[in-house]
This record gives sequence, structure tokens and C-alpha cells, in this order.
Amino acid sequence: MVGLEQASDANLVVGVGRWHQPALAEIYRRHGGSVHALARRIVRSDPPAEEITQEVFLDLWNQPEKFDAQRGTLRSFLLARTHGKSVDFVRSEVARRKREERTSRETATAPYDIDHEVWDIAVAEQVKEALGALPDELRRPIELAYFGGHTYREVAAMLKEPEGTVKSRIRSGLGRLRVNLAEQGVEPAGVER
Amino acid sequence: MSAPTTPLVPEPSHEEIQEFLGAYALDAVDPDTASMVEAHLENCVRCAVEVAQHHEVAGFLANSGGSSPTRVWDGIARRLESAGPPSWTLLAARLETGEGQGEGRGDATAEAGEGPDGLPSEAPVPASRRVPISSGRRRQWPVRLAGVAAAAAAVVALLFGVQADHLGHQVTTAQAPPLLSAAEQEALASPTSEQVRLTASPGAPGAPAAGTVTVVLTESGTGFVIGEKLSPLPADKTYQLWGVIGGNDISLGLLGPSPSVVPFSVAGGMPVSAFAITAEHSGGVVHSTNPPVVAGTVKA
Repeated sequence: MVGLEQASDANLVVGVGRWHQPALAEIYRRHGGSVHALARRIVRSDPPAEEITQEVFLDLWNQPEKFDAQRGTLRSFLLARTHGKSVDFVRSEVARRKREERTSRETATAPYDIDHEVWDIAVAEQVKEALGALPDELRRPIELAYFGGHTYREVAAMLKEPEGTVKSRIRSGLGRLRVNLAEQGVEPAGVER
Repeated sequence: MSAPTTPLVPEPSHEEIQEFLGAYALDAVDPDTASMVEAHLENCVRCAVEVAQHHEVAGFLANSGGSSPTRVWDGIARRLESAGPPSWTLLAARLETGEGQGEGRGDATAEAGEGPDGLPSEAPVPASRRVPISSGRRRQWPVRLAGVAAAAAAVVALLFGVQADHLGHQVTTAQAPPLLSAAEQEALASPTSEQVRLTASPGAPGAPAAGTVTVVLTESGTGFVIGEKLSPLPADKTYQLWGVIGGNDISLGLLGPSPSVVPFSVAGGMPVSAFAITAEHSGGVVHSTNPPVVAGTVKA
């Protein structure tokens, strides 16, 4: 029998489907660090990041069938869920703060502030190179949307660009980044043959 | 015939939706747009694959290499424990509803066939295009499951959808560890569950070296096969489970080339009078002409 440490991610999800808790623990051991780091990077605070991390793995426990191995890796699935939850949190916090600011008649001066420090620390060297090879007009919208948790409309306002342009640049930027990653030897897996 | 209705707001075109895919993958669209994109993804494999590719790329951006914090796992474990022990009833419901709970693109591999690494060898098809494997037509096995089919006196018009549900299919293809889960052990021990011993047909390929294959069938029509005794087949072959219902041989799903514990379910809880397992090519067949590797009858 193959031990949990040697089992594939897909195999572990099967174990989760049968309520095998050690399988979930192994998935957490493999991907919990990335999930937690991404959540913390976006929400910029430990307690909500930990709560989001817990929710991501509990969601997998409760609905493992949501993961479709045909469409990508477990890691990207978990990170996409993490990103969505983190962005929801940030937007709800932004909304709450805006309500409070309206109440106190304060004026918002700089509602959007991107934390580039975290970006520089966290991104692996090859990914940074791939990203660096992107022209600024493609890289900036991706940074602002992904790590800042902003909608493309907000990004357009921040960059003073038309919304449609930003929308297209995010898409083409991700496509170019995929090619750049492949040239760096980082091959996104599992979605195309 | 009534005239076709024209929607008040025209639906966005494929090209218009495509422009949103990058922003959607980064959660950078508003909820209404997200819903619109998700509705499109239900029926558009190309766009669904593109979103998955964007997610993969975004996953690399998130790469941190950090360790997984222990205290967070402790919190997860506490919440799991407080939820109480799982039961077979819940697991059965989970298996049966896997298709509906998915995102409309779950178990396309049931038809698409599989490549050497378990990925589909053909483009997935939308859920709406799936058809049941079974047709209810009588099939000619060289070794008949004689006497068993006759037990069903009345032949009913079977609308018998094989539940090759997403979760169940994942179990099939990913070769789950052979140890029974707590829920399966519970089902195995339950007095209301039926245990059916399938014994080898002499000379059949893949016949077990010793012992029997056990099928556990619960009252709800959900069950599992303990197939560890089956000899492994080549990668381009699969075992296929059949049930005899109302005198018809119905496919209950693919077990993979080297099955361990594989769940299945019988839609509508129709009574099964016998089970058999055949060896087929990897995509399975609608009607088998191969002799059963093992077969057994359900006690009346």
C-alpha cells in the first residue's frame, strides 16, 4: 500500500471524500503554508488569515467533489479558493471602513495602497523573472488585482486607463506570464494536453 | 407552437465573456459579472480550461514556500472533531449528490476515457450531454447469471441512471487506499446491508488468486465493492461492475484496472438480484460480450 506521503494529491482528495482525516492532514502539510501565506498577504492580518485558511481546508473536507483534477492541480484549486475568500474579506472590510468614514464625515485620501514589500519577499526567483519580463502595462493590473484584491474597474480608475483596456490587459498579461513561466522552466501543469 | 421569446437583455457573446476571463480568474469582477461568467463556463469547455490556466499561473504568483502553521491545523482538527463522526448515511448521500453539487463539469471522464496519467484523453463534455451507460437491453453473457434474473417476476421499464458520480469516479480512477473508512465499516457491519460474495468463473481473465470479491449494498441502493482480490489488469483495461435488475444486465460503473474499495450507487434503489464483474477496455462498454470474472447472487 502506498503511504500518505507518497500518495498523489488526487488520491488524497479521494481519501478526504471518504472522511479519512489523515488524508486532509497530509494535504494541509503540503499546501497549508502557501494557502496561509497568500491569505495573510492579501488580508494583511493574522487572525483573518488563519480563519480563511481553516475555511479553505474545511470546505475541501465538506465538498471534495468541487475539486476537479481535470482542470488543474489541487494547489491551484486551494489557492484560488483562498484568493476568493481573502478578496471577499478585504472588500467587506473596505466597505465597512467606507461606511464608518461616511458616518464620521472623514474624507478618504488613499483608499488603495498596494503592498509591494510583500510581493518582493514572497515571489520565487523564477516567477519574479517571468513577471519582470512583462511590460509594465500588463504587470501592474495583475499585481493590483491579485494582491490588492481590487476589481478591474478599480484598477482602471487607479491607473487612469479605460476599463476595457485593463480587462484585456489582465487576460493577455496572464497569458504572456504563462509563456514566460514556461520559458523559465516553470510549467503550469494539468490543464492542457 | 409558441414564438420564441427574446430576452430583454441580450446574452453576452462568447467573445465578450472571454474578455472577462482573466479578471474573473483573479476575482477582479463584481458578483453579477462573476455569475454571468460562471453560467457561461458551465457549457464552454474552452473558457473553463482558460480559467483553469489562469488559476495555475496565479498559483505561481502566490508561491511562498512557507511551512504550514501547526496552530491553524489544530483549529481545523478541532472543528472536524466537533462536527461528530461521519456516518454511512451521510457518505451515501454525498456519493449520490456528487454530480449535483459539482459545478456542472464534474464527471466528464466517465465518457471521455482516460490517458495514462488518469487525465481525460478527450475534451470533457458538458454534463448535459452525458448519457446513462445502461440501456436496459438484455445482453448475452456466455456465462449466464442463470436463475437470478428469473427471480424478478415483473420486468419494469427501467429508467436506471448509473451513478458514475464525480466523487465515485474519482475513487474509481485514483485508486483509493484499500483500508475501509469508518463509514464503510459501519455499512459493512450494519444488519440491513447486504453482503454479496462474487466468486470466480473458471478460466476467466483476472480471476482472483484466492478468496472472493465482496459487494456491500445498503438499503438505500448505495454500496461499494471490495475488489482487492482481483488481479491487476493492464493500464488500458478496466474492471466493470454489472447488476442484474429486472432481468436486465446494467452497468454500475467502472472499477479501474486495480480496484480496491470502489463505491457505486443504484439510482432509485431498484432491487439488484445479482452482481458480476467483467474485464473491459479502459473506457468500459455499454454491453459486454466478455464472460464475468466473478459473479454472485443476492439472497432473496
